[in-house]
Amino acid sequence: MVCALAGGSGSAWAGNGKTALVAVAFTGAPPPGFQNVLLNVQGVRINPHANAGPSSSGWQLIPTPPGIGGGNQNAELQIDLNNLQDVPELFNTTKVRPATYKVAQLLLDSNNPGSLIPNCPQSPGGPEGCIPYPISLTNGQVIITGPISGFAPSNKIVAQLLIHVVATVTPPFPTQAGGAYTVTLAVNPTTTGLGAITGQITNMGSTSGSMGKLIKLGVTAETIGTNTAIGTALVKNKTYTLMLPAAAGFGTLYDLAVAGGGDSYSAARLPPLYPNTMINGPTFAVTGQVVGNITGSVSDGCTAGKQVVGATVQVLVPPGDQSNPNINVDCTDPIVAKGCIAVATATTDNAGNFPLPGTLTMPPQFENVPAPPKANAMGVGPIVNGAYAMEVTAPGYDPLFVQVKPSNGTGKNSGGVCAPRGSSTFKTCALSLSTAFISGTIPIVPPPPGQTTLVQVFAEPTGTNDIQSALTMPISNRNPNGMVKFTINVPSRIPSFDLFSTTIDQYQGTSTPFPGHTMAVLSPVVMPLPLMACNTNSSADFVDTIDCVGHGSITGIAGNANLGASVALSKPDPTSGNQVQLTTTQIQNQSASNALDPTNSYAFCVPGDTYQVQPIQLPPPVQGEAPLIAPTAYPTGDPASVTVIPASVVHGTPGPTPTSSGVPTPTPTPGFKLSCPTTCSNPDGSCPGICNTTIQPLMVPATPMPPPPATATPTATATP
Amino acid sequence: MGRVVQIVALSLLGAALMGWTAACNNQSGFSGSVGNTPNGPPLASYNILGTVGTPFTATVSDSRSSWTFQGNVPLSVIIANNILPASVIATKTTSSNNLLSVEIISGFHVANLQSTRAPFGTVSLQVGGMLGSISSPADPDLRIFLSGPQNLSYQALVEDINTGFIINARAPTLILFDSPNGKVDATFFGPTNFTTFTANMTFCTPAAPGQTCTPVVVVSEKTGPNLTIRQP
Repeated sequence: MVCALAGGSGSAWAGNGKTALVAVAFTGAPPPGFQNVLLNVQGVRINPHANAGPSSSGWQLIPTPPGIGGGNQNAELQIDLNNLQDVPELFNTTKVRPATYKVAQLLLDSNNPGSLIPNCPQSPGGPEGCIPYPISLTNGQVIITGPISGFAPSNKIVAQLLIHVVATVTPPFPTQAGGAYTVTLAVNPTTTGLGAITGQITNMGSTSGSMGKLIKLGVTAETIGTNTAIGTALVKNKTYTLMLPAAAGFGTLYDLAVAGGGDSYSAARLPPLYPNTMINGPTFAVTGQVVGNITGSVSDGCTAGKQVVGATVQVLVPPGDQSNPNINVDCTDPIVAKGCIAVATATTDNAGNFPLPGTLTMPPQFENVPAPPKANAMGVGPIVNGAYAMEVTAPGYDPLFVQVKPSNGTGKNSGGVCAPRGSSTFKTCALSLSTAFISGTIPIVPPPPGQTTLVQVFAEPTGTNDIQSALTMPISNRNPNGMVKFTINVPSRIPSFDLFSTTIDQYQGTSTPFPGHTMAVLSPVVMPLPLMACNTNSSADFVDTIDCVGHGSITGIAGNANLGASVALSKPDPTSGNQVQLTTTQIQNQSASNALDPTNSYAFCVPGDTYQVQPIQLPPPVQGEAPLIAPTAYPTGDPASVTVIPASVVHGTPGPTPTSSGVPTPTPTPGFKLSCPTTCSNPDGSCPGICNTTIQPLMVPATPMPPPPATATPTATATP
Repeated sequence: MGRVVQIVALSLLGAALMGWTAACNNQSGFSGSVGNTPNGPPLASYNILGTVGTPFTATVSDSRSSWTFQGNVPLSVIIANNILPASVIATKTTSSNNLLSVEIISGFHVANLQSTRAPFGTVSLQVGGMLGSISSPADPDLRIFLSGPQNLSYQALVEDINTGFIINARAPTLILFDSPNGKVDATFFGPTNFTTFTANMTFCTPAAPGQTCTPVVVVSEKTGPNLTIRQP
């Protein structure tokens, strides 16, 4: 009989006197030769006493942000130092007591402080690459301490604390999977490195006719062209200030969305933000409105009774004040919508209904929608009087743009009404997404009896790396006849797709993020004409085979790279020769002073096969100019063909063994203890041994960069 | 401050007492077919976290059954009546660089963690040993989706006629009941009087062993601070 319920734990860390806002961010200096350098961060804390011990009083905790876990001991944020070498990553912004702080500590998970994923060894005897190894911290220290200088958050400013984490690896190195790397960590906190955006809000009015809770008026910085919130600042004394990561010498682009407080929406697209500089943001003029709610459902237009789970629903507005909107901007137009900004976002639940509930203290954004502007009552454009544009997206479906009017007052069970673009007939927001289908087969070297191979399939428009869809469930293959059957949803208005498959593999029974089977590709897959909902192409039969070859890696320097450069990896279709783009990777540790700096590098963990690597470049933002739409990367420079030699075969047929791709394998390398299966195994019981790396330097054509902006330490004026 | 702590403590005590009543004497609205329920073992939970709103598709499997579902960050997933080892595989379904992080929680600690920021990136984790392959789709497939206030810590009792499982989790939560014996019911205990829960129970039975079926909502409830949902 169940006769007791365990007591819960209340979170009561928010103490008196916490009135100063601190924005904490990380940068990293990882050891070379690793694909990922991962640390499991539980929090950062600061103390006014330089010699404060772990149990001393006065510690102020900056916990993991909401969504990661909410600040209790279950909450961890995994950071990758490899991704933090050039642009800081914001950790959290929270309140602390005003004081002059002298010491900061990085708090890691005491049971699992992190892991390292090395590239494949460049010489025999090294450990297997592309698999995670636990780390053993020097002296077992999971609390890393560093002194701070001149850090005095007060009621008048938002203080920034940038924590530079330095990791070094010392021998001995692991000799088998599961062995630990010995890592020494150091933290060097600084009080500069972020960029600031500050501005004013005017005409804030009192809402009328509202019901329920109100979201506080705030300004949210979003990655340009997305609804991804990077940081939110509450408006106080009609002022807002945001401290945000910014790419040195290149600039980072943000949108601002103003929402809450029962006021009208407002939005802006900003010029690039640089470290240690401040953008004087626009002065937003908002007005008090009646607040309503929007509810509805999203279903599949091709399968009766199927709800779309996890769809994203966004209210879009053009940049500018919505109390006086630009009536010529129609955000229900899919092309024009790229210039619009998301001011409210919801998602569908397992029954296809939206929105999900908010928190105890904050209602969902769709529960606090101000009355739309009436200025477009002139009949200009396809949005009718008193309606917003709303976009619904889900992977594998066509995006849907509709008009929406919120209810008059919140808390309505069927809040708001929707209408198709250009229509004035509004009904309940029971929305339907259109889709199409691709089905076919993929040859696979079958696993030995009793083992399975998990296969995932992705679809992207031909010639792009814009993945549109993936299987909702990986296919578990144990079929001895060597064929995987699949059906994937794809948007119906795209004429042609590239498909590629990957496997989800383990390494000696433990999870690993990189596959050990070849990635099969197929291009093009042409959809039947006319393009319409529920179309099906049922002949997407791959020629390329999924084969058990083990891990591999590609590394190299990337000369001339700037912070907008990255490298795309593709593989040719064996029949058409089309390059199918598989993934991209950032170029790490750009050096402005030395274009051929050897640490200016890139790396991929990919199975042994022949690929193409191609530099791609984001156009540099123009200093002081806000772009109309989010920039997209384009190929630049010369591509290079790269062959990653498959791992040697061990414990099976001796000597070099040809694979289905025809590439002979070298002899096994000693030194690392292996037992089969590694990532996979062959029917004769053999399996891939230690993986190989291929070095492929690239040269990125020089890109004219904007002149460096004058730097100044941002001093914000907002009071939290 | 002190008053806040007092309110939280009293709420937790109240919830515990209500849970005691529900579990021990079948006097809290449970169906007549569900009676004495032996205490089930502690359950691991799988928290799918990261950038709020990031869409994903995931497959969770224990050594007997598997389930596939789609959702958005954050989501807690719990298998009631599970048989370890178990694994979770989650794939981002967006081209963004949003964070997707999967944590396996055992007790109050993170037992394992893996993250990705790659477009359509995949993470996979295991708990309780090595799971050689994904198990067959659940038969029957019974799920309870609880969408209370986001990040709200709550307690619940989920039971079939044999076993009751105590759950400490955060909303929203997807509860998967592996191989239930008889009908299933669940009671969720809100920590404050202001809590309102919404719960959907879905159910389906595959047409043939090894095949998947499409879960259909069989009952929905919306109430607070406590909510009971029963399989029809």
